[in-house]
Amino acid sequence: MFGQGLIKGLQITWGRMFDKKQTVKYPYEKIEMFPRYHGRFELDVDKCIACGLCANACPNKVIQLEKEKVDKKQFLTKYVMRIEYCLFCGLCVEACNKDALKFSNIIDMNQYRRSWVRLTLVDRPAPEMTETPEEETPAKVAKNEAAAGQAPGKEG
Amino acid sequence: MGENIFVGIATWLRGLMSGAGVPDLWNDTILLVVKLVAVLLFILVNVLWLVYMERRVCAFMQSRLGPIHVGPQGLLQTAADIGKLLGKEIILPKGTDLIVFLLMPVLVFMPPLLIYAVLPFGENMVAIDMNIGVFYLLAIASLSTIIFWAAGWASNNKYSLVGGMRSVAQMVSYELPLILALLGVIMITGTLNLNTIVDSQKSIWFVFTQPIAFLIYFIAGIAETNRTPFCLVEGESEIIAGPYTEYSGMGYAMFMLSEYANMMIISAMCTVMFLGGWLAPFGLDFIPSWLWFFLKMYLMIFVFMWVRWTFPRIRVDQLMGFGWKVLVPLALANIFVTGVGMYIFRAIGWWI
Repeated sequence: MFGQGLIKGLQITWGRMFDKKQTVKYPYEKIEMFPRYHGRFELDVDKCIACGLCANACPNKVIQLEKEKVDKKQFLTKYVMRIEYCLFCGLCVEACNKDALKFSNIIDMNQYRRSWVRLTLVDRPAPEMTETPEEETPAKVAKNEAAAGQAPGKEG
Repeated sequence: MGENIFVGIATWLRGLMSGAGVPDLWNDTILLVVKLVAVLLFILVNVLWLVYMERRVCAFMQSRLGPIHVGPQGLLQTAADIGKLLGKEIILPKGTDLIVFLLMPVLVFMPPLLIYAVLPFGENMVAIDMNIGVFYLLAIASLSTIIFWAAGWASNNKYSLVGGMRSVAQMVSYELPLILALLGVIMITGTLNLNTIVDSQKSIWFVFTQPIAFLIYFIAGIAETNRTPFCLVEGESEIIAGPYTEYSGMGYAMFMLSEYANMMIISAMCTVMFLGGWLAPFGLDFIPSWLWFFLKMYLMIFVFMWVRWTFPRIRVDQLMGFGWKVLVPLALANIFVTGVGMYIFRAIGWWI
């Protein structure tokens, strides 16, 4: 019959009127991001050994870390990510041997100022040393002196 | 009580003024101005609501929600849009016919305004009760053609010009079936007065006695308002926005708003001519007559929107072919059948 297709089309749109709406009212309700989503970085400070592999792996030199030596161990004092340059490629997370650096599924990292985008994951002073540093033990000092004495000799 | 609320306000105002010693001539003039301002406000508020409604209906048909942020349920979205457009610069392209270019957005609201003066919104609720109402209405409604065309011409832009030309072609060819469809109703009632036409639908609405005329009127009405199955005038994928391409800011807003005002007129006209105007169906008299009028009008508007968001646009040759080869002969046949039917009914005595 002529016009059957028109009626069918009208029926379809009428049906759609009462369908479940797909819209998520974004600022009021949010979709949970997937577990492997490349979102905001998270650093497990206790796991981190401050090896610097992540900073090395980064193609954009996003990661800046500072460390101090405490009791024969590297102690992470500062870990800053310049997120404005970050690609979220995940090479740093892959490079991490200790699984300390991870992606979370948090997506809101937007800021009003460019300078506020910078992500400071760790900023803490190094703790007081419990033992006297190795360098100041007499044996070490003597060794150092010996080495220093040797060096000019080699040169000469 | 609700039935006579507007008539009551008018009588109260008249009584108040004659009580204050205002001469009759001034009294009538002031009342007329009040009525016209009321009509103006009514149009503007309705148009704002219609833009919102269009977006909501469209969104719902596409499984979306539409505007929900500004105001409760997004109700203030259109007000915010208008505010934004008011604040924008009206760009004047090089080489435009400046006077015509700037005049057209103002004039485009005139035909709808003029038409609302004669529409019977409810029992005894008509600004000017004219005995050639239908004729006046059709004559004024076709004025908007020249405004679209002049806007397209003045823009000095090929897309605008093509849009304007299309507007003329489309509106002139669809005016004919529109008027011929209404002729069936006018033949039965024997009057051009809109109030009398509504009154004569007390026993049965003309949509049941003139279904073909209603269908033709509906299709031609969509074409007259340049809405989607026939939106060649604005066809976005082909000619950007047709005659409105070069308009920005409030000029553009006026064209958009007038589109909705025109849609209201076509729907209101449909209500008056075919759906019994302000008459209450099934004896539901407790709902006031003006509310019935708006309910029917909004039903028609919803159907217009429904059609818009269902069907794709047709080609220019299809548009013209459909108008001249299908609608006009069909409307003429409807007039013929109506005339013959009237004679037969008169002969067997069913006609009063």
